[in-house]
Amino acid sequence: MSAPGRLRRFAIRTGAVAAKEATHAVRDPRTLYLALGMPVVLLVIFGFGISFDVEDVPIAVVDQDRTPDSRALERSLTTGHEFVVAARPDDPAEVDRLFRERTVSAALVVPRGFAREWAAGRRAPVQLLVDGSDGVGAQSVLGNASAALRAEGRRRLAAETGGAAAPLAAEVRLLFNPALRSAVFFVPGLIAYILYIVGVLLTALTIAREQERGNLEQLFATPVGRLEVMLGKLLPYLALGLLQALLVLAFGMAVFEMPLRGSLGVLGLGTLLFLAGALAQGLFISSVAGSQQVATQAGALSSLLPGVLLSGFVFPVENMPLLLRALASVFPARYYVDLLRGVMLRGNGFDALWGDFLGLGVFCLAAVALATLGFRRRLA
Amino acid sequence: MTDAIAVEGLGRRFGAFHAVRDVTFTVARGEIFGYLGANGAGKSTTIRILCGLLAPTAGRATVAGLDVAADPEGVKRRIGYMSQRFSLYPDLTVAENLDFFGGAYGFSGRALRRRIDAIVEETGLRALRDSATQSLPAGLQQRVALANALLHDPELLFLDEPTAGVDPASRREFLALVRRRVRRGATVFLTTHYMDEAEYCGRVGMMVDGRLAALGTPAELKQRLVPGDAWSVRSARRAELQAALAATDGVRAVHPHGAGFRVRCDPARLDGATLAARCREIDPAAELEPGTATLDDVFHAVVAGGGVA
Ligand SMILES: Nc1ncnc2c1ncn2[C@@H]1O[C@H](COP(=O)(O)OP(=O)(O)OP(=O)(O)O)[C@@H](O)[C@H]1O
Ligand SMILES: [Mg+2]
Repeated sequence: MSAPGRLRRFAIRTGAVAAKEATHAVRDPRTLYLALGMPVVLLVIFGFGISFDVEDVPIAVVDQDRTPDSRALERSLTTGHEFVVAARPDDPAEVDRLFRERTVSAALVVPRGFAREWAAGRRAPVQLLVDGSDGVGAQSVLGNASAALRAEGRRRLAAETGGAAAPLAAEVRLLFNPALRSAVFFVPGLIAYILYIVGVLLTALTIAREQERGNLEQLFATPVGRLEVMLGKLLPYLALGLLQALLVLAFGMAVFEMPLRGSLGVLGLGTLLFLAGALAQGLFISSVAGSQQVATQAGALSSLLPGVLLSGFVFPVENMPLLLRALASVFPARYYVDLLRGVMLRGNGFDALWGDFLGLGVFCLAAVALATLGFRRRLA
Repeated sequence: MTDAIAVEGLGRRFGAFHAVRDVTFTVARGEIFGYLGANGAGKSTTIRILCGLLAPTAGRATVAGLDVAADPEGVKRRIGYMSQRFSLYPDLTVAENLDFFGGAYGFSGRALRRRIDAIVEETGLRALRDSATQSLPAGLQQRVALANALLHDPELLFLDEPTAGVDPASRREFLALVRRRVRRGATVFLTTHYMDEAEYCGRVGMMVDGRLAALGTPAELKQRLVPGDAWSVRSARRAELQAALAATDGVRAVHPHGAGFRVRCDPARLDGATLAARCREIDPAAELEPGTATLDDVFHAVVAGGGVA
């Protein structure tokens, strides 16, 4: 057979698998819901639920100084919407009880002599206590409070020295998230997480289902090759996945006010690679799982864990121990989170994000290869 | 001209278990070959090896002149296969199933349309083209599966219990379709539990515990393995009657069949009148129906006697 003839047959057979798979997908309400309904539901639930924008956090203020200066400090915390004063105990020991009863999540203690030390230009210690039992929330509270206190400090310094050298806090997060709105920072991670888990689950069932129903034996008896099956199954779900990504990104931009400072092309290509990798991961799981039940569980686990823990969504990858960092580098989620933040918040292009593209591309190729090789075309 | 199928010393082991052991036979072109055997006898295992789906662990097999172990892909292009399990996509329509399997064999566009038009005509499925496969009764689903297997005009057709669980009328129609293909030159390898179906086969092979225990045309097998007369007996006191007849001189075999049982005797030692009288002694209401031996009798003789190939 000639080479063009072979290529033509390859295309026909791949197309036949793709058409069949597309028909399965559009006829199955569960697939459609999984692809187009669930992502939006997840985004809403998580977006607002873990909206790390902490507002109106109840705070206890123990003002032992009782001077105009100490009251100004307190005001600096409460003029934004971040904190409301929920208690004013006289005794600092009270604070402990308030924390235990969960009446407050933070406390500001201004010791006697604060205004005097401040006026004398010496270190004027104040104490800020934050309930650490809600780790992520605490970080935001701490961030908000220390930012407010620092700002107040700068304001006074500037007032006294006549506007000279105000100290600048060089925190990366502040640079790209000036309003300190955490949604903007977390939504890219959330989008990556949702696209990842849904992408893997979309394809995780496809081969296992055919195996359980006995369709696979019939398929093996035809001349359809392994790669043709894999690509044929990948293509329709890639189209569905892109639709899903469009929906999720548009929703993120409309509801959470995500900016898109970079190019749509960079975003689109990165999303395509990420989705293809996730779908191929699902196909690999499906081809080795043997049953739909195992495939669902393996699919959920293998996307949920890396998607949440190893993506930089919640915990920065750079701060992880070496072993976890190496593990995180295997999965595509961290590259996509980085790419989303880069292209959406920082307006980066290929030049800055090529490492992410490389990571996504390598994973995608490896997953397609593994899925194809893991798919045995013989029985037993 | 070479044989359509040639199998020599074929075997397949699963661990220590021999599902198929030292099987040898040939199938001529244009023949319908029936492969019979009880559950677990090794029928499906043999058919899977011949279709290039399972590698043999011993012996060799050629299908359409190609070695199934060396060139399974070549074999797959030349054969049509209907697996034992329901193998269509239930959520797709008849036409969509045909579209898919046609594409799987590399047909597209006008060529595919022409083939589908022809096959739905041949199998009488034209009116059902747009019906969801899962909504069809079992008999029609089998016909759709046959249409899928025939779409690419294979020279060989492998059917693994194609009519299991289907009503007799649908079975007859199904076999008529298969025989029409054979008249057009196809070779058919068919496994079945139904002995009446096997009567239609040019030759049959009988599998017992992984071995080919008997091989020949239905007439040959009957003449060689179950010569003499055969009777169908119905009686309310079946067990008692069966035991009495089994102990009677001149009776070769007694085995249950349907609601009654079959008796084979040596005509030289026991004639029909004597047999009838013997039955009436025990159950005056017993009904006897004379007849010739069937493949079912052959099968029971083979299973009971270990068989003679
Ligand atoms: N993949 C496998 N692994 C282990 N044992 C197997 C495998 N496939 C078949 N067997 C065993 O081999 C034996 C023959 O099976 P096979 O399916 O060929 O029987 P069969 O004649 O087709 O029976 P049936 O009439 O039930 O379809 C059975 O005992 C079966 O359990
Ligand atoms: Mg079988």
